Amino acid sequence: MVSGPHQTAGMLSQVITFFLAALTMVYLSYALPRFLPGDFVTATYAGANVTLTADQEAGLRAYFTQDEGFGDYLLRLATLDWGYSYAFLTPVSDLFLGALPWTLLLLGAANLISMSIGFVTGVEAAWRHGSLTEKGLVGGMTVLEGIPEICTGVILLIVFALNLQWFPAAGAETAYSDLGFFSRLIDIAHHLTLPLATLVLAYFPGNFLLTRNSMMMVIKAHYIETARAKGLPPRRIRYAHAARNALQPIVTRFGLRLAFMITGALVVERINSYPGLGTLLFNAIQARDLPVIQTVVLFSSLIVLVVILGMEGVYRIIDPRIRHAR
Amino acid sequence: MKKNIFSFNLKWIFILLLISVFAVGETSSLLAQDRGKEIRIGDGKGDWGYPNPYRHYPRGPGYVRMSWVFDTLIWKDKDGYIPALARSWRYDPDSMSFVFELREGVQWHDGKPFSADDVAFTVDYFIKHPYAWVPMGAVAGAKADGPNRVTITLKKPYAPFLSYVGGTMPILPKHIWENVDDPKRYSDPGAFIGTGPFTFIDFNKAKGTYLYEANEAYYLGQPKVDRLIYIKTGKPMMALLSGKADLVNIRPDMAKILGKKGMTVIENQRGWNKKIMINHKKPPFNDKRFRKALAHAINQQEIIAKAHRGFGSPASFGLLSLDHEFYNPNTPTYAHDPAKAREILESLGFQRNGQGFYEKDGRPLDVELLASNITVAGESVSDRDGEVIKRELEKTGIRVHLINMEQASTDTRIRNWDFDLAISGHGGLLGDARILNMMISPKMKGSVNSARYGANKELLALLNAQVAEMDPEKRKRLVWKIQEVYADELPAISLYYPASMSAYNHEKGVHWYYTKGGLALGVPIPQNKTTLIK
Repeated sequence: MVSGPHQTAGMLSQVITFFLAALTMVYLSYALPRFLPGDFVTATYAGANVTLTADQEAGLRAYFTQDEGFGDYLLRLATLDWGYSYAFLTPVSDLFLGALPWTLLLLGAANLISMSIGFVTGVEAAWRHGSLTEKGLVGGMTVLEGIPEICTGVILLIVFALNLQWFPAAGAETAYSDLGFFSRLIDIAHHLTLPLATLVLAYFPGNFLLTRNSMMMVIKAHYIETARAKGLPPRRIRYAHAARNALQPIVTRFGLRLAFMITGALVVERINSYPGLGTLLFNAIQARDLPVIQTVVLFSSLIVLVVILGMEGVYRIIDPRIRHAR
Repeated sequence: MKKNIFSFNLKWIFILLLISVFAVGETSSLLAQDRGKEIRIGDGKGDWGYPNPYRHYPRGPGYVRMSWVFDTLIWKDKDGYIPALARSWRYDPDSMSFVFELREGVQWHDGKPFSADDVAFTVDYFIKHPYAWVPMGAVAGAKADGPNRVTITLKKPYAPFLSYVGGTMPILPKHIWENVDDPKRYSDPGAFIGTGPFTFIDFNKAKGTYLYEANEAYYLGQPKVDRLIYIKTGKPMMALLSGKADLVNIRPDMAKILGKKGMTVIENQRGWNKKIMINHKKPPFNDKRFRKALAHAINQQEIIAKAHRGFGSPASFGLLSLDHEFYNPNTPTYAHDPAKAREILESLGFQRNGQGFYEKDGRPLDVELLASNITVAGESVSDRDGEVIKRELEKTGIRVHLINMEQASTDTRIRNWDFDLAISGHGGLLGDARILNMMISPKMKGSVNSARYGANKELLALLNAQVAEMDPEKRKRLVWKIQEVYADELPAISLYYPASMSAYNHEKGVHWYYTKGGLALGVPIPQNKTTLIK
């Protein structure tokens, strides 16, 4: 691949665009949370067992709300200082990094599983276009796609946690279980099952329908007929010839799902009391813990940018047409 | 051939799923092996801050998490005050001071001996670095008389002292805190050294879990369990029935099922009330006749029946709980009487328009009613009262715009007097009668559930007098009078006491109870440290 002057200029303008977008997001992460009505002191002390006189309130407010300008905020971020949580009185980075692995585990696994199952079943269903299985699958998936995760989540909890008691109803692992490494892994998997199943049931029908539809268009193409005429094995035609060309929409969907990682699992995290960035953000907003809100909002918007940038690269790999396009 | 591969795929996915379900199900029984005796308490929010005075959240569950680690001079059990770090105490009216005789041989968790110096230091430290739970305004200072006696002197007589200071103030180790200038940021392990029955081991911020271990040398007796654990669970009933938690707060409608399944259900006295905040600074709400019309228009029973399936009881209009020792049975009441409400409104110049709603001088009487989720004993509960109240007021002829918002947004509007009516609530109605001052006095500017009402001078004088009255009988008479005046003024309207329940698994050998009057200054949570002491 030789990059001509055209491409270099294109790349440069792209980088500038992304940089400006990133800066806008940094500004929004700084400014938007400030529009929330109320502040930390009111949110925390309202309904507390203590009531505040004007002096006490002023003292707390002075301690907790050091107002900083956007310049200071930028400077702080540039030095990788994410600030101090009002509620926990610990560095925000501690909180963020404490919650991140759980979100990555839950959302990463959910996306991978639902993408692979959705992709394979979608390809197979499209190949059997018109058959009873295909019709049944499309019908079933359309119904499943319409059921929100809050509903499946609660049903799974009632059946598998309350009635059958196969899986725990809350948490990411048995708290303070002092288990060995492998038992702990199993314990984590055990706790992961219900929230993961909820998310997979929510994501996978969409992946299925998307793959099937793009496959339907691809298998009508002439090159598929050519491949068949050559006498290639059916599985090879399906995956190497047809499915590869149907991959792009599903990769886009995968990327966007990952991009909305933080807010995407909020509902499921809440239902299953699963630790993660969604829970962290939810609690921070309730408590008006400004530095935490800012950090989570900033990261969730930057992830969208990074993922979009990354997907450009992935498209080039999976679809040579983009690589050669001007 | 085609068909074969497809069914093969599906079959395998299904078989794999089944295998993993059973494999994981099997291992869960493995995990239940003995880890020493422990108690697990479930809670919907999970995170309540670090368990020390300066870092726990200022609500009941935060204080309780700290109370396992830090002790007070006196504490409460089922029957009332019991000695804790102090063996005995007395009040000397001439010198306006409380004298505490301290227990000997008590050790801090780090092995250093506890002494009167620590208590005197704590008083001074809380004066210098205020801790909102322990108001020090009436305290002049403290002095250690030898290693086992401390005298705390007051600036003026202060009746709530035993409840708010003696029974709530956590004693800090001088040898650690004397070097700490910003207690809120102090997070070394030393920040969690107390004399309590449990030592603090871990708080996981992401998961909202806490771990404590038994302090075998505890002076009131050995703890019954080796480990005390808090877990976060949004589904208390499931957590209890599946053995993940041994004690949880429950909604009253779960009580029957849990009872059938062999769990013990306990119910608290009436210590928490839902109430309507009224913006008594603006017309027409600044006229107490109008507020009385509101009280007549609202049907307390109807709210309990419709929004709470009957689990609750109507509140006294005098604020203090019917179960409080100072409750005045002669407190004025306002029966549900729409006709009476209309009569009052019409006497104030309001007239019904064509739609049946009141207006005055051609301007309609439009009332905004704010509602939100409210935190009760640590659990966020959604509001269903707003709809019922709206319907009742509209039946009377008062047009209502119900606005449901998130709690902090509603609270902020109440705090800034940017509202007409708002549904709010608070506890503390069984604790010391100082709660009346907190929930009525106009000084509580930073509070969102205090009426902050200064229009009646007699009421203000009575409030000041009752906290300064050291004779319980005389104080009781003052508190009775306060309830009468308050119920006549109606700066806010108390609605009902929701039934408050917990359930526990008694097979663990621990029998939890609600402390009479609440823990410390009145926390309505049944996690009293005496329950876990042999």
